[in-house]
Formats: sequence, C-alpha cells, structure tokens
Amino acid sequence: MNDDQKMQEPSESVNMTDLATTGMTSDGGTPKMTARHVDVFYGDKQAINDVSIDVNMDSVTAFIGPSGCGKSTFLRCMNRMNDTIPIARVTGDIMLEGEDIYSSQMDVVQLRARVGMVFQKPNPFPKSIYDNIAYGPRIHGLATGKEELDNIVESSLQRAGLWGEVKDRLSDSGTALSGGQQQRLCIARAIAVDPEVILMDEPCSALDPIATAKIEELIHELRGKYAIVIVTHNMQQAARVSQKTAFFHLGTLVEYGETTDIFTNPREEKTRDYITGRYG
Amino acid sequence: MNSLTETKRRPTDWQGAEMQQRIARRYAAERRFKALGMAAVMLSASFLAFLLVVMVGNGFRGFTQTELPVEIDFPAVTGGASPSQFQGPNANANVQSMGLREIVDSSIEIQYGQDGTNLFSSGGWTAVNAMILSNPDIVEQKATVYLPVISEIDVAYKDAGNPEAEQKVRELEDKLSTGFNWNFLSNSDATDPMQVGIWGAFKGSLITMIVTLLLAFPVGVLAALYLEEYAPKNRLTDLIEVSINNLAAVPSIIFGLLGLAVFLNFFGMPRSGALVGGLTLALMTMPVIVITGRNAVKSVPPSIREAALGIGASPLQVVFHHVLPLALPGILTGTIIGMARALGETAPLLMIGMRAFIATPPSGITDPATVLPVQIFLWSDEVDRGFVEKTSAAIIVLLLFLLTMNALAIYLRNRFETRW
Repeated sequence: MNDDQKMQEPSESVNMTDLATTGMTSDGGTPKMTARHVDVFYGDKQAINDVSIDVNMDSVTAFIGPSGCGKSTFLRCMNRMNDTIPIARVTGDIMLEGEDIYSSQMDVVQLRARVGMVFQKPNPFPKSIYDNIAYGPRIHGLATGKEELDNIVESSLQRAGLWGEVKDRLSDSGTALSGGQQQRLCIARAIAVDPEVILMDEPCSALDPIATAKIEELIHELRGKYAIVIVTHNMQQAARVSQKTAFFHLGTLVEYGETTDIFTNPREEKTRDYITGRYG
Repeated sequence: MNSLTETKRRPTDWQGAEMQQRIARRYAAERRFKALGMAAVMLSASFLAFLLVVMVGNGFRGFTQTELPVEIDFPAVTGGASPSQFQGPNANANVQSMGLREIVDSSIEIQYGQDGTNLFSSGGWTAVNAMILSNPDIVEQKATVYLPVISEIDVAYKDAGNPEAEQKVRELEDKLSTGFNWNFLSNSDATDPMQVGIWGAFKGSLITMIVTLLLAFPVGVLAALYLEEYAPKNRLTDLIEVSINNLAAVPSIIFGLLGLAVFLNFFGMPRSGALVGGLTLALMTMPVIVITGRNAVKSVPPSIREAALGIGASPLQVVFHHVLPLALPGILTGTIIGMARALGETAPLLMIGMRAFIATPPSGITDPATVLPVQIFLWSDEVDRGFVEKTSAAIIVLLLFLLTMNALAIYLRNRFETRW
C-alpha cells in the first residue's frame, strides 16, 4: 500500500455497509496484514488452531473472546513477540503487505517497528517522558538532528493527546504519570517510530473508566492513519471502538465480520451466547 | 450452608476467656521476638564497637613514634656546605655524598655519649636527609632534629618494655617525646619496626584491586548478562550455573593453588606481582559478581524488555539500553561484596609469592608487591614487640581502605539507582 492510500480518510459509510462480509476475510480495500491457516503451539499444546484473518488499514479490528481463547497469543504472533518464548512455534502464513513476516528475509527488529505494540499494563521506560518517545526514533535513526527529534516527540505526544498535559515537564520520569497518561505515553511511544500497524493488547484493562474513555477516543482519532488491532475483554469497548470484530473461542476464530453484524446479528451460536453473556 | 451444619458448629465466643488467653499469648510471642531481635542487634553492635575500640586504641600508637632531640651544628660538621648544593637536579646526589649518616652519628655521640647511637633507630638519619632536601637553608644553621629511638625504648615508653629499656626510659624521661610517625605512611616493609611503613602494601593492594576489578567486573557482568538474556536454557547452561555457584563457595586458598599452577607455572608470569595476585583474586570475585548480577538482571521487570522489543529494539539494545542500567545497582552491590572479600584475602596470595619481604613499593603490575592483609599477617608473625602496634595500625589502614572503597561503590550505586 502506498502512502496516499495509507493517509486516506476512510469514509464511515464504506466501513459500515460495503464491507459486510460473510467469510473469515473482508473485502474492504487491500488488507494490511493477512493471516492464513495460522497454528500456534506452546510445546505440545496447541493455542491457536487454523486462524485466517485480514486486518485492514482503514478500520479498527477488535479481538474478543473468553480468557485463554488465544486472542492475545494471536496478536503477539502478528509482530513476532512470541519469538521471545522459546517453546512457542508458529505455522501458517502471516503477511504484512504481502511479505511473510516469518520468512528468513524478514528482519524481526524492523518488523516490530512497523507493527507497534501497546501492552496490557502501561510500561513506560523509567526514563524521562522525552526519552520515552525519543528512544524508538533514535535507535531506528528516524531523526537527523535535535530539532527533528523534538518535532517527532511533540507530534507523537500530540497524536496521543498527551502533549497539553506534559509539554511543561518533558524531563520528568515517565513513570511519574498517572496510569491513563502512562498508557497514552506508551501509545505515543509506539506512534513515534512511524508504524503501519498498532497492536493493542487489552490497553484499558488496568485503567479507570475516565482514562479508558480517553484511550478509546484516541483510538478513534488514530483510525485510518494506522491499522489498529485491539484485544479486549470488554464487549462494549469492542462495539464502541471497532469496525470489525473477531470472536475467538478455544484457539479458533469462530466469527469475523463487521462489528455491527457481530453484535446485532451474529451468525454463530457461540458468538451469540458469548455476546449475550451466557458464558465467558 | 444448611441449617444442620450451622447448628452443629459451636458458636464462636470472641469475648471468651479462651480467646483472651490466645490474644495474650500472641502478644507475648510478639514481645519475645522483638526482645530477641533487639538482643541480637545489640550483641553484634557491641562486638563491632569492642573491635573498633581495641583496634583504634592499639593502632593509634602505631602512627606515633618516640623521639629524642639531637642538635646538629650543620656549619661545623659539614665544613661549610651551602644551601645551593641541595637545590636543583643534583640535590639528591649531593645529600647522598655528604655522609649524613656519620654526621648524625657524631652529633648523637656528642650529646648522648659513646654509646648514644645505640639509643637511636638505625634508619633515623634518613629523616635528616629529607629535611635538608625540603629546606636546604638548614645547613647554615644549628638545628634540633627529633629522631626516632630504637624499638625497645619506643615500646617501653609507650607501654611496658623489658627492664633495660625501662631503665633507659627513666634516665631519658624528660627528653623523650612523642611525634607523628610520617615514615609509617611513606615507607615500605623493613626489619626495624621503627622504620616500617604501610605505603608499599597499600600501593600493592591498590594495584591488585585495580587488576581484579578490571578483569572481574566486565567478565562477570558479561557472563551474567549472557547467561540470563541470551543463553538457551538447556543442560549445558544448567551445568555452568551449578559450576559457578560451586566456584563461589570454593575455599580461597584453592584459588591460590590454581593461580600458582596456571599463572606462574604454566604461563610463567612474574612471581609476587600484583598482576598474578589480581588475576587470582579476580577468579575468586567473578563468581560472586556473576551470581548477584544474574539475580539483578532477573529482577528487571519483563514489561520493560517487552516495551523495548515492541518498538523494535534489537536484543542487544534491550540489554544495554534497558536491562543493564536497571540491573546495575544490583550488580554493583555484588561487586562491592566481591571486592571487599578480595581486598581482605590473604591465603591465595601466600601461594603465589606475595608474602615475600618487599622493601620497595611496586611501580607496576609486574613488580614484586605485597598487599595490606598479607603485610598484617607478616607483621603479626614478627618477634619484635614494636610490630604489635604496627600490626594494629595496618589493620586500621586496611579498614579505612575498605570503607573508602565501599563508600565509593555505594555512591555510584545510588547514582545509578532508578526511582520508579
């Protein structure tokens, strides 16, 4: 996908109507990331079973499902964070713009810069707010001078809606911020390396409702600029922030489609049971 | 819960006598534990206080010397030497050639009789040597210099000596005085306790510690980081871990034998040198640094690693930008413990020849050297009673060295400490 397409504003109507899907994949423009027949094993135990899914540039994709259903595991396969677990084994294909991310040509370090991640618990570095944001651009050589780096820091914090709150104390420790601010700092840190996809692993589960609302608002604003995948336990949140929802159960992808369809008219019995609160 | 089990259960009487008794017993147990804990702390504190009082009390005398005044009429005895002779590049040679020893001895004989020189420490005249070099004008004057007496009189004057010396002290009572023993800080080992100094051993310790630190710290930290962050978890790394743990518990003299066999016999490095001493102590210190370093690395929260990996830091960048800075305070704690142990170590150094009598301070890592604890051990073995207080004084120097080293390390640790 070229830059023009990346930056285009998705129109609401396209998302809601034209992208109605019936299969495991969607037809809404070129998919940013595609997964085909992905299996994940932890030792002998299979955690993910034959998952195929497309992630689009112009929509937020939510992964929902009960605990232990494999949604976080699958998310961590998408930027190879599972590589850090020695017993984890991934088969099948996951493509980023047609490139197999598990191929030997793929540089995993660069992949993780292109596919950023925000974690469940806010994990700012115990460094200054400025250094938290500047770290990524520094190690990837994205800024040639102090001025450019300052610009990146400012624009990243602005995009994360944190600039107004921290602009006077950039040298304070990132860990001194409140939980919600820390999480937005982590999002700003991910944005600072100019990723194409942002993976969020239950980004609001450690936050209070007000901080959660701010993050959700932020996700809305970031949509279209980055392909966003969010794992959440909170079905209301999935309904609020996402255009597409994937329901995982016991390591399989049960249903994937428009969020409105999943929540109002699910095709699968299991999905209906889960979203109506019968289990999970 | 149904009503049947509800009724079967005896009602809990929170106010009953049995309950009150239980509370009283619990309080008593708390008080007992507190008292025992305090007693333990007091006991160790009093041991420490006792040690310090005894050491300082004895050792303080080691820094002083008993002196007798000697009047030297320089113009008369030197035959009119001019101050300019003792300035400039030839000063040292000119002092050497003037026969100062005889000059001092003759002045002593004038004032204290034919046997007068027997009262004075044989190396005492070197103080006059230094005096002329620092103040050449003195050779045109009559000057009174204070020279150290022999060890027996020194001991008798400060404490209680043998009858003859005590007799001498009574005779010279009004002339004897106590002065600060600068020689003790600037000299090296000697046979005369009045002339010994700690400088050689101090310098030896310093050089040895630098060799140890330069080797043990980087190697230990790298090993800890590699084992914790990179090494695959398999039987080989388990074996390495067990070996390192065992190595930390090996008696130190065995490291001395290792040093003797490997560094001296196999590699043929110079005997008694600070290089071999430092290498041997580094072998001993490394396991301590590896073990504490691994624990420090392990205690860095995994979320920080994930955060760094998540924005595309390479494993090396994760280790050196995030893990190491956060683990450094813990690593430094281990290094302090290891280095403190190395500084106080005697046994392994005896095996590699650092117990030799060394009268000149080492000027490099291959020069024959000794270290403070070995010097203390050697002096404690001397027959002459003058060495007793020198031993205590050397212990004070060693303790001060240790305290300074630890204070520096703690300062560094606090500087690197990250506040969360």
